[in-house]
Amino acid sequence: MNEFIEQFLIESRELIEQATDDLLTLEGKPDDAERLDNAFRAFHTLKGAAGIVDFDAMARALHAAEDVLASVRAGDEAVTPELISDCLTCLDQVAQWLDAMQADGQPPADADAAAEALVKRFHRTAAPVVAPDARATPDWVEALVAQHRLGEASVALRYAPEPDAFLRGQDPLSLLAAVPNLLALELDESEAWPPLGELDPFRCRLVFLALAACTATEARQAVHPANGHFAIHGIASQDPRAGDLSLTARHLVEAQLQLLGGASQEGLAGRMASAARVAVNVLQYSARGGEVGAVERALARSLEVGSPDGLAEAIRGVLEGVSEVHATTLSDSVMVERAPVEAAARTLRVDVERIDALVILTGELLVAKNALGHASARAQVGMDLAELAAMLKDQHAVLQRLVDELQRSVLNIRVLQMRYVFHRFPRLVREMVVSLGKPAHLVTEGDETEADKVIVESLFEPLLHVLRNALDHGVESPAARAAAGKPAAATITLRARRQNDNVVVEVEDDGAGVDVARVREVAAQRGVASNEALAEMSDAEATDLIFSAGFSTAAEVTNLSGRGIGMDAVRTAIERLGGRATVESRAGEGTTVRFLLPFAVLMSRVLTVEAGGQLFGIPLEAIRETVRVRRSEIKPIGAAQAFVWRNRTVPLIDLEDALGARSMPSTSHEASVVVATAAGQLGGLRVDKLGERLEVMLKPLVGLLTGMPAIAGTTLLGDGRVLLVLDLQELLQ
Amino acid sequence: MTVRLRNDGVIELVGVCGSEDAEALLRHLCARPTSDVDWRGCDGAHTAVVQVLVAAAVRPLGTPANKFLAEMVAPLLERD
Repeated sequence: MNEFIEQFLIESRELIEQATDDLLTLEGKPDDAERLDNAFRAFHTLKGAAGIVDFDAMARALHAAEDVLASVRAGDEAVTPELISDCLTCLDQVAQWLDAMQADGQPPADADAAAEALVKRFHRTAAPVVAPDARATPDWVEALVAQHRLGEASVALRYAPEPDAFLRGQDPLSLLAAVPNLLALELDESEAWPPLGELDPFRCRLVFLALAACTATEARQAVHPANGHFAIHGIASQDPRAGDLSLTARHLVEAQLQLLGGASQEGLAGRMASAARVAVNVLQYSARGGEVGAVERALARSLEVGSPDGLAEAIRGVLEGVSEVHATTLSDSVMVERAPVEAAARTLRVDVERIDALVILTGELLVAKNALGHASARAQVGMDLAELAAMLKDQHAVLQRLVDELQRSVLNIRVLQMRYVFHRFPRLVREMVVSLGKPAHLVTEGDETEADKVIVESLFEPLLHVLRNALDHGVESPAARAAAGKPAAATITLRARRQNDNVVVEVEDDGAGVDVARVREVAAQRGVASNEALAEMSDAEATDLIFSAGFSTAAEVTNLSGRGIGMDAVRTAIERLGGRATVESRAGEGTTVRFLLPFAVLMSRVLTVEAGGQLFGIPLEAIRETVRVRRSEIKPIGAAQAFVWRNRTVPLIDLEDALGARSMPSTSHEASVVVATAAGQLGGLRVDKLGERLEVMLKPLVGLLTGMPAIAGTTLLGDGRVLLVLDLQELLQ
Repeated sequence: MTVRLRNDGVIELVGVCGSEDAEALLRHLCARPTSDVDWRGCDGAHTAVVQVLVAAAVRPLGTPANKFLAEMVAPLLERD
């Protein structure tokens, strides 16, 4: 993809993010002129960017949105939820196009229909501006129409260029000349001209009025590079819809299909070229220039294979295109469905300072390398061993410091702010609120908290699920809230903060809290825990059962939560990131779901163990204890084994067997066991030997190793051996 | 130079007249307010040039070569 497009994508995404934020704030505070201006500017800039990369459909859609925002600014229209929804839908569509562009490196060819649907949507919203409504027709339009009596005129436009238009290199007449089928041009001479001697030839004082037989969209497109004030009015009952083929055009296109239908191969190439040319002309005439590319591509393919079928299909598409346009409706709920599969951030924006730090480090590493070269040269000529050892030790210390620093710097580059994932939620919560009918607002805190890119990106789904749950199950109905003396609108707080080497992310609601009695009941019903176990559980332990597999079932599927994924999926996702998910409930006051996550996902502290002659690493955060268990204390239970640890029966897994390493009969009467937890499961791993604690940088499995079960990643040890780090979650389940 | 003063005192617009020609045209018109302007050889005129013609209430001679000027702009200058 070219750099230009890449930059366009980055900037456009930022603008979408900013505009979404502004629109959502605006909805709550319709009088916030600054936010309105910001949103307007964002749309305007996005439109400009679309123009630069020749993405016409996107520019058209944004232009329509911009017009609506402009009339809000002018006070002609009020900020309504529908208006905000329309603007957000437009941004959603643009985001989809950007994703498509990301994949193909060029604007999607099929964007026109969606753009048209958006434009229609906005024109409906902006009815007073463009509708052919007699009552809204200003005097100048009536005067213009009366003066010219041009039956075929469909739009009237008034264009007052900015006074400095000439200085900006604009030529307003040439823009008007580009309006398709311009029928008449007039000057609005409401102001008298100054004496010729006082005229400033570089200040534009002209105001133009024009009539044209084209659509409002076409007129808008022709003049949209200009600054200044524009008004475009449809003229009653004659405004042809953009995209519709006239009857003549339709006959013409159908005739081309017949032309292609002939069985003879004779002159086929010529017939195909001519049919395509007619179709292209018709498209251009009907303001559907965006579909030209499809026809041209089909022609190229058909010429290549020597069969007209592909081209005929494309031309048939031209005929049917209209119905497609009408069938395209943009659903407001699209976002909720699509969001979870949204792709990860593709680019990182890195602070220059961080790069500079790396450059300096590189310099220092070079010095250290040279010093080592010097040491090896001295060693070659027979240096005193003790002296050499001292020298190497010094160099090692220097390298150690530099490498530590390098590692820290590199990890710092991989960080993203929580904002990246948080900013998507206000929009989604707004939609959930609408569909659930429970008023609530989302407060985010600690947007600027940083964590590793992978962690931040992976938080979207778990957080979305927790937020859904909070709204669906946590927050009471408005009536219940009123009875409890709470404000009608619930507050859901999404909060992130740094805590030493960890990042804490919380979702807190001010709802009723978890109904522990109900949890116990459901857990018993669904066999999550036995009645005896349940009876012994404290309330906190019972509350934690909401994270158990099988606790939430499809039986309670609502529109929002419970799509077959329960809170157990949330816990699993968080643990996969090396974190922990907990819940804290205060009856009547609210619930807090808390994720404790590592700052950097790549760094792992492991304990090395040996089993079957092979070295493995076990993530330290999962290890509860290492114990020695007498063989006699290991009891077979069915095909499995178990032992008692702190009065609990813990299943024992023989690491050799589990990983298929070659087993050697052990002679020792004691076994080393690592007691570990993962995904809420406690288990013991029997190993041959315990090793040391190491801090390692984990590399994900690649190539042939990817399929290996129960291995999270690999790392190289100082002596060159490969250490396989275990994925306990997989191993214990 | 696309704005010329002919020996017979007629101001002539030739070729494509850019925005910078507006000033020259204005200078000529200020010097001889009753001059005729001949735009038959004009292939295009920037809005700034047209504005000077409008402000000076000039009715140029003949039909310009450029279609847009002839069909759309000329009528603007033919009214009082």
